[in-house]
Amino acid sequence: MSDDVLLRATDVVKSFNVRGGKVGSKKVATAVNGVSLEILRGETLGIVGESGCGKSTLARCLVQLLPVTSGNIEFEGTTLTGLSRRQLRPFRRQMQLVFQDPYASLNPRRTVGDIVADPLRINKFGPDAQITERVKDLFVTVGLDPSYIQRYPHEFSGGQRQRIGIARSLALNPSLVIADEPVSALDVSVQAQVLNLMADLQDELKLTYLFIAHDLGVVRHVSDRVGVMYLGQLVELADADALYDEPLHPYTDALLSAVPQLNDGTEVERERIVLAGDVPDPAQRPGGCPFHPRCAYATDECRSVDPTLVEIRPRRFVACHHPLNA
Amino acid sequence: MPMSVATATSDAVLRVRDLRVSFATRQGLVRAVDGLTLDVAPKEVVGIVGESGSGKSVAMYSVLGLVRDANAQITGSVEFEGREILGLSDKEMQPLRGGQIGMIFQDPMTALTPVYAVGRQIVEQIRQHTDMTKAQAKERAVELLAEVGIPDARRRVESFPHEFSGGMRQRVVIAMALSCNPRLLIADEPTTALDVTTQAQILDLMGRLRDTHGSSIVIITHDMGVIAEMADRVTVMYAGRPVESGPEVDIVRSPRHPYTWGLLGAVPRIGERSERLATIPGNVMSPLDVPVGCAFAPRCEYAMPACEARPEMRGEGHQHACWLSDEQRVAIRATPTKDAP
Repeated sequence: MSDDVLLRATDVVKSFNVRGGKVGSKKVATAVNGVSLEILRGETLGIVGESGCGKSTLARCLVQLLPVTSGNIEFEGTTLTGLSRRQLRPFRRQMQLVFQDPYASLNPRRTVGDIVADPLRINKFGPDAQITERVKDLFVTVGLDPSYIQRYPHEFSGGQRQRIGIARSLALNPSLVIADEPVSALDVSVQAQVLNLMADLQDELKLTYLFIAHDLGVVRHVSDRVGVMYLGQLVELADADALYDEPLHPYTDALLSAVPQLNDGTEVERERIVLAGDVPDPAQRPGGCPFHPRCAYATDECRSVDPTLVEIRPRRFVACHHPLNA
Repeated sequence: MPMSVATATSDAVLRVRDLRVSFATRQGLVRAVDGLTLDVAPKEVVGIVGESGSGKSVAMYSVLGLVRDANAQITGSVEFEGREILGLSDKEMQPLRGGQIGMIFQDPMTALTPVYAVGRQIVEQIRQHTDMTKAQAKERAVELLAEVGIPDARRRVESFPHEFSGGMRQRVVIAMALSCNPRLLIADEPTTALDVTTQAQILDLMGRLRDTHGSSIVIITHDMGVIAEMADRVTVMYAGRPVESGPEVDIVRSPRHPYTWGLLGAVPRIGERSERLATIPGNVMSPLDVPVGCAFAPRCEYAMPACEARPEMRGEGHQHACWLSDEQRVAIRATPTKDAP
């Protein structure tokens, strides 16, 4: 299976210096704390977690938009960490991002055709006429009328803007698309359209997705495998169905139980676990397991030893001293 | 299950009849709310669900007298505990707002001023509506913060809003909304800005407070899951108009309006993985282009000539505004999904 690995991250750590409460004092916030994962060619790997869990920072580290503090990232067997900007360029083409806010990620003063053409121009795709052709093709691919290329972002709705963002990400035929909360700013009916479009594009263009979201329903819908992050660490990683049907980490269990359900008779009822308190400050990480202060099953071991992510069953990874259902 | 029909005037806490809110804009008349009728019984939780631009927030803002745009025209009737409140002056509304009617907004920072400690803000609200002394009000503020689950309330009462997390801030706002034992709580997307575990805490809290304080709640949201969790009755709005209303169970299990079908089908569930999500074609429409007939017709796959006339809400208890006959609806719903009405 290892030859199918498109991207491999090993023990990635990203920390930021933050100003402390007192003037002049400094603290270190570890946003991503030792994450290792593999993204397999052709799959959708979903990453879920609540705000501040480090999922977006992880995404930015994986594509080298942020330099990692330590750890290693390999793309198709080549180590990216430590490469210069120039050396990175051919890899950047292969890895593209779709952002959350379709209002902030498109320059309001440029036409959408120019926005989508940018990656093509920068990478010297060809003469202008050829670029325009490609842009029109991309518009058709994402379900927009190619005659719109002269319009400006404000003339489009949120869903259409997200299609433009997707068109831009596809311009250079990437193999990996990293989508950071691509539908969370959209209304639910429009969100469904964009999710269906992304699924179609994946089939058509043989894309690999890293799909980051806080919405557990959306992540299950799109993902083959799902990773759950808490306070900068991956606490569970498994096939989507297995993870949702039988969570092993107490945090995953609580997270799933917290989702309001429709109770229309089609879903299994889950008993609500209301977690006490908030996610701790990443600049003041609790010792031991990061989840122990909020975990109902915490023991002395959890308070002192940080569990590592281990494969306790085939294809099921969990970082917990006392996994559920085990 | 509280059932209230149009005749339940006497005991309804809030009774809205044919509320219309329109704004004269340079591009034309925008009918933000177009004929909303709603009853809220004591201790009842009523959900208003719709996508952006459906008019759900404007409707409740006009109930509170918070729509102050000079170009706005508001007609209809809003009775709070039997008394007409539409068109009251600010001065007349003041004892109601924050007193008998509590409010919770999506972003807690818009409801709190960053420059005063939260305790001072709660005290101010309490003293505005009661004749408590400062010391009594402060004591009450501490009690309230403890009640909404803020640890170490006596110390935290001196903290400023920025010192709280998002979930804790929303708790402060809820404590403030409850400070005068309101008869009615209006919550506009109270958990939209929060993470799912925090949302669970807040919904849990609101449910408990309904039981202990006996307040009625109107909850405005785009999230069908939140509705299913909280509401006794639901009104679904589209383009300013109510399209379906009734008991929550009926709306979720046997929805009648094609828009409600789309809304429910488009939600990815955590319990099952479907190959494709149901979608509603097109976008939420511009409020300037709402058709004279059924507002949903341009996006409705079952649209027919009858839809050129505007359907009125019909039915008892579970109402809907759609021209499809019962037979047609059953036939449509029997084909693609399992939960035909």
